[in-house]
Amino acid sequence: MGEKFRALWRKTVWAWSPESDRESSEAIVKNFWLHWFPAKVARASMDWNYSFWLGTASAALLLILTVTGVMLMFFYVPSTERAYGSIKDLEYAVSFGRLLRNQHRWAAELMVAVVYIHMARVFFTGAYRGPRAVNWVVGVVLFLSTLFLSFTGYLLPWDQLAFWAITVGTSIAKQAPVVGPTIQFILLGGHEIGQQTLLRFYVLHVFFLPVFVWILFGYHMWRVRKDGGLAAIERLRDTRTMVAKATPKTKSYSLFGITPGTSVQVMSSTGLEESDQVFSSPNMSRRIALVFLVVFNITLIAALMFNAPLEGLANPSVTPNPAKAPWYFVWLQELVASTTIRLSGFAVSGALLGGILLPGILLAVLTLWPWLDRSPRSAEGRWLAPERKRQNATFAVATILIIVLIMVGVYLRGPYWKIYWPSQPRPEMPRLY
Amino acid sequence: MADKNESFEAKDFGWMVAMSVLFLVLVAVCFWREFGTDWGSYQQEFPQLLGHYGKIEDARNFRAGIRQIWIPKIGVTDRCITCHLGYEWSSVLPARIVEPLKPHPMNDWIAKHDFAKFGCTPCHGGDGFATTVNGAHQGGRGWEDPILSRALATQYGLTMGEMIQMRCNFCHRHDVATPGMEEINLAKQLFKKKKCLVCHVVEGRGGATGAELTYVGDENPELLNFAHVKGEHTFFNWNVQHLTQASVVSPKTQMPDFNLKPEESRALTLMLLSWRRLPYPPEYIPDPAAAAAATQPSPTATPTPATMPSTH
Repeated sequence: MGEKFRALWRKTVWAWSPESDRESSEAIVKNFWLHWFPAKVARASMDWNYSFWLGTASAALLLILTVTGVMLMFFYVPSTERAYGSIKDLEYAVSFGRLLRNQHRWAAELMVAVVYIHMARVFFTGAYRGPRAVNWVVGVVLFLSTLFLSFTGYLLPWDQLAFWAITVGTSIAKQAPVVGPTIQFILLGGHEIGQQTLLRFYVLHVFFLPVFVWILFGYHMWRVRKDGGLAAIERLRDTRTMVAKATPKTKSYSLFGITPGTSVQVMSSTGLEESDQVFSSPNMSRRIALVFLVVFNITLIAALMFNAPLEGLANPSVTPNPAKAPWYFVWLQELVASTTIRLSGFAVSGALLGGILLPGILLAVLTLWPWLDRSPRSAEGRWLAPERKRQNATFAVATILIIVLIMVGVYLRGPYWKIYWPSQPRPEMPRLY
Repeated sequence: MADKNESFEAKDFGWMVAMSVLFLVLVAVCFWREFGTDWGSYQQEFPQLLGHYGKIEDARNFRAGIRQIWIPKIGVTDRCITCHLGYEWSSVLPARIVEPLKPHPMNDWIAKHDFAKFGCTPCHGGDGFATTVNGAHQGGRGWEDPILSRALATQYGLTMGEMIQMRCNFCHRHDVATPGMEEINLAKQLFKKKKCLVCHVVEGRGGATGAELTYVGDENPELLNFAHVKGEHTFFNWNVQHLTQASVVSPKTQMPDFNLKPEESRALTLMLLSWRRLPYPPEYIPDPAAAAAATQPSPTATPTPATMPSTH
């Protein structure tokens, strides 16, 4: 039954099928999409339980965000007078406008999470060693770019939520030593949030950052191949070295000529047994299409079920109580608040310690970790290797602490930044009438 | 080789089919949601109603879709009329028709305010952009201009018409008195009688003892002390109680207790709430002298410029 159905599917979908292996390979080489990938890919890399395909999911989200973002650009007006109205128009008058905005919003928030989880996966599998260290740094930069992309997009609806979240965020940036005020001035295009800020954030959000992320994503993917594919195969290579085999001398061609070092074939394919590999097309291309489809469905379900937040029009004279940063920065706000020391009237702002120094140190350690990690190579490409027990635990604890801080900031902080448990009634903030 | 690929192919193919089916279902849901509008049924009903009252030609020419009154110069995009279709048919449709198809009541001063020039939200509040019942009437967090519904007015012991007078005064602020705006007219009289300007600055005049009141309607209610306010914590209640007995609401205040009647403090509150920074261009602002001449035939009621600062 299954076989018949598949045959029918092929008949309906494919106009042509290759007669020989040569025809098959030519069909792949001639096709841009199919030629994107290596000819063969290790079975170990295809394993759901190794990578959870989180990088592919991130790429899928980037694509969804780019497409929905370009569509939103046809309606959005980056002016303080019309931005809010154009969002209202999208919600109420544009065909599928609300859906489009919802999908863009949830895909963006999901991307921040998925990119981080992807990074956590790479950490827990120790997949940043040796030549892959460069790609780890590229990944950290991509993660920061994702945060900044999300942050710049946060201002665009020009509602109270956006206005005050950016006020909080840029005020934290101001606390950086020496360069802080300059950074804030450059971000805001002045001393306070206004039309010039909106325009800056808009241009960063729709042009510079997406182009940067797409280019860096391209490089990230290219490095994955040049560094020998997923680190999952490293363990396999050890077991396969028993088989004596003359490795063919190969060269690898990059955009800039011949790259030194080991080539893809040596590391990922020919070093492995035939039985360790499958053809990328259709196995990997089908898998990638599947991941894209799953991610698209998830964002679509989120868009159908939950509306993107939109509060009242931005009002510089009325501060919401409490004003919160976007959730992925709320842990910084929480750190700033909890490191601010008050002694009988004197207040030592925690913005420098909590907002700049602590996250700065975390980021520096994260970026340089491939060179600080002294664990044996046998820990590479394995989930939670016992050799890396301590660092994995540290990473997990740090992540959990950040999540706890985010939860506290998002769910427990009420008016005047006080803690309110879900059972506690929050004081009613005064209304107009 | 092929048989080993089979494991991937069979599993992934099955998932692919399942996800594709889910995708198609989701697309169907998207379309269902897009066309399942709040206004669809009202727009089906309305031409039948027009036909029933003899407007067969208009009923035939009725086209379904989102409708709006768009007045860029006062920032109005009012899609209220997408559902409130009967608004300009008061000459044809009887007033007993229920909302949203009910015609807008008509009288002399409503007739002077052309719907096409003023829209809906400048008088009624609410979210003009919205095309959903909840979106237009209930609003969400950070809702700035709640709709002045009957329920809201009743909460403060007012009728909806009286509550709306607050918004009439956006443009009629400088009239001495305006026909149809009894609440505000009372407030303006009290404002003079109680000599508020002795302590408060309004539009550059008055004493500096109290707070400046020129744009008091824009004030952030969170900055006020609600510790001694009875009832709901609203700007409205604060003002009503503060105007009646300032010493109770703000124990340290220098403001005397005027012991106003409830209707007097309500009227003054409506006027104070109307004093906001607003986008209305000069052609929307009536000539205060003309309004005074029309409504104040008695010369004794007209203030002399020497003793009274114009009007508020």
